[in-house]
Amino acid sequence: MKKENPFRYISNRIAFMAAMIGLCLMAYQAEQTILLWQGEICVWKWLLHLGITGFYFAAAWFWIFIPYRRSEKFVERIQDGHMISGSGDLNNVLLTPSAKRQMEMTETLLKSPQLIDLNERQAQYLALQNQINPHFLYNTLESIRGEALIAGLDSVADMTEALAKFFRYTITRVENLVSVEEELDNCETYFRIQQYRFGDRLRLHVTYEEEDREDIMSCRIPKLILQPILENSIIHGTERKVGTSTLRIHFTRTQKRLLIRISDDGVGMDEETLAALNDRLNGSGGDIACRENGRRGGIALTNVNNRIHLIFGEEYGMHVYSIPQKGTDVELTIPLTGSDIKIDERDLLS
Amino acid sequence: MREEIFRMERVTYIEKGIIQLKDFNLQIFQGEIMGFLPVNAHGLPAFLKLLQSNLPLHDGFVYYGETLINSWKASRKGYNRISIIQNQGCLVEGMRVSDTIFVLRQGFRQRIIRSGLLRRQLEPFLRDIGMDISADTYVEKLSYFERIVVEMLRAVIMGHRLIVLNEVSTLISEVELKKLYRIMRKYASQGISFLYISLHFEDILQICDRAALLSYGRVQKVIGETQMSLDTMLEYPEEFNRMVRVHMQSEKGLGMSPDVVLELHDITYGALERLHVKIHAGECVVIQSLDYSIYKSLIGLLIGERRLEGGEILLEGEPVAIRESKSVAVIRELPTRSMIFPGMSYMDNLCFGLLRRVEGIWHDRAIKESVRMEYGSFLGEDVFYMQMEELTEMQKYQLVYTRILLQRPKVVFCIQPFKGADMPHRLLIWRMMETLLQKGIAVVIIAINLADSMSFAERLLRIDGNGMVVEVSREEFSHLSASTPWAHLYRKEEEG
Repeated sequence: MKKENPFRYISNRIAFMAAMIGLCLMAYQAEQTILLWQGEICVWKWLLHLGITGFYFAAAWFWIFIPYRRSEKFVERIQDGHMISGSGDLNNVLLTPSAKRQMEMTETLLKSPQLIDLNERQAQYLALQNQINPHFLYNTLESIRGEALIAGLDSVADMTEALAKFFRYTITRVENLVSVEEELDNCETYFRIQQYRFGDRLRLHVTYEEEDREDIMSCRIPKLILQPILENSIIHGTERKVGTSTLRIHFTRTQKRLLIRISDDGVGMDEETLAALNDRLNGSGGDIACRENGRRGGIALTNVNNRIHLIFGEEYGMHVYSIPQKGTDVELTIPLTGSDIKIDERDLLS
Repeated sequence: MREEIFRMERVTYIEKGIIQLKDFNLQIFQGEIMGFLPVNAHGLPAFLKLLQSNLPLHDGFVYYGETLINSWKASRKGYNRISIIQNQGCLVEGMRVSDTIFVLRQGFRQRIIRSGLLRRQLEPFLRDIGMDISADTYVEKLSYFERIVVEMLRAVIMGHRLIVLNEVSTLISEVELKKLYRIMRKYASQGISFLYISLHFEDILQICDRAALLSYGRVQKVIGETQMSLDTMLEYPEEFNRMVRVHMQSEKGLGMSPDVVLELHDITYGALERLHVKIHAGECVVIQSLDYSIYKSLIGLLIGERRLEGGEILLEGEPVAIRESKSVAVIRELPTRSMIFPGMSYMDNLCFGLLRRVEGIWHDRAIKESVRMEYGSFLGEDVFYMQMEELTEMQKYQLVYTRILLQRPKVVFCIQPFKGADMPHRLLIWRMMETLLQKGIAVVIIAINLADSMSFAERLLRIDGNGMVVEVSREEFSHLSASTPWAHLYRKEEEG
């Protein structure tokens, strides 16, 4: 393979020129030292030269090289598919005014509300794709429920009611942030529907410190982040397991964060699959626009993670732990906020 | 509300081009004792480094008290307020306990050290944890347990909110470990958090509230408070469990050989007084020191630090000096560091054990070639061309144990053989020891903590601080404390 010419890049040419100047300064300094030793110049003059050389190298290192490396790292991360979060990140990229404008444009593109919409849950995609009229759907479900009640089929009526409630939450409400209480309520509705299928084989426990209940329940979180994970746990974890399975949603409140852990005691996954999934979660901004038709589970988790990254920043997000045959834990980290006003990226919520 | 003390969020750390930590997630809350079980130790040294200093990250975020201290974007300079207590202590020898605690901390501004005042300041802390250590004792005079306690006190006084204990159970006895747990609980109730790193889940179960499992630089699983039970923890080291079970089955019914191969006859040496121990041919015995001075004396006796003060060592009835005998071998503690000679080639390192058996081994190419023919398939052909620094930890363990196999002693003493070894290395050591036993070589394990040693021992000899020897036979292993590794298997064996 032909070796690439390093001087093809302007940055390398600048680095070369700076190194040449540095070498000249060092050579000059060495000459001055010899002259000082021979007594041909005074100490003050030598010290002045030394100061200038030192200042040159310090400035080159702290003023040019370190910020340049930071900018490079930042751009590399965007290329790797990471999200841009917080306007502070952009200040790293100040190579030229036009480069800065270019980055701002990239940020605008990546953070556009349309793009967030792309990340809405799979059910929403399906509903839109199938052009379902929500009101037609609810009315039909209500009619089925009525018929079931008349026929004395309470379980069918119950199930239909749960399904209508689930769709109403999923399709009708358009806001991006909801309270934990609302989201949890939707999870319980979804679980009720699933229980008709699994019966006593499936159990759900929701736990938190009782003293923190109010703070946890009022905390604002992106809509539809818990139910897809729960669904994922059922489909990929517990469905394939023989015997009873338990799903747990545990909330922990710290000073600044809300930690949500959704655990199952299902079949888990091997180390390679787990590593690949976490890799995708950690550096997968590129997946936003990606219409991968792969396994649904992975996509659902990636979508949830991307939405958290976009709304709250890359410091927050999702991590998955798993051991084969022992179960999987999905951990979400979300900033503790009771009001949408406190969220920096408010424009994304509309 | 739980106060978060430390958090690593999706950290990826690369050192010399090798990924040490990948998507590493860990959080420790206030007053919590968090267990950390390295299923394999890859990434553990890097993790310990990152705990103390903010090295540049490839990715991720590190928080201390919910304040960002390190991230892929920028690192905060300086050290974190986290103490790590491990084998290499951080106390300064030649200083007194009170000085090392108070004088060497940041913020100590006094120009004249007032020993009396420091002593008075230290007393309430010692009283609080029920320790009787003189403030004027020099650091080098402290036992391992006292060192650990002093280091912990130093961390508490310095205001460190997270204390990491790395494999301390291999340094101190069972009784001392219990005392340490009590002290940890006391400080945890005062809001100090602990990260307790141990290679044995039995240790972790005894003290920890939660536990994280490390595998290839990733936290594979965090076991929650409600799951911290023997049944849950037993599911993880399944391979090792199976090996122990298989070994137990194969050993069932085999009696001990009546031939005494080695006898420590009324040995007086350091803290040992009139010690009498008999080792039978081909058996595996664990000698557990319940006191550190006993352990130190035993090590001194084995490596021949000085002459015996009384008694004699008999090999098949004949007096012998362990250091000079070709029939007695000693595998030292952390052998991959202490028994590898970096300046020598792999073959010379391997044939070192043949020195006493074959004269002129260094120049005898034919013997070296036959050694290579015999062990090449097991060790791998590549290793013979490698420098010692290039060998992996696994290859180093193989080298040390194969050297002993070549020497073919009648008895081999293994000093804390499982110390510092992660799960894959423990499996290898286990297999190598089994090979030694199959060759009819008696294996004597010298241990402070029982660790995995018990898994294939036939007898356990416990020596207390007064030199009293108590023998525990295999049938009685199930009655040992709950922290005894594999006790559940012995119990099952007894029930079966």
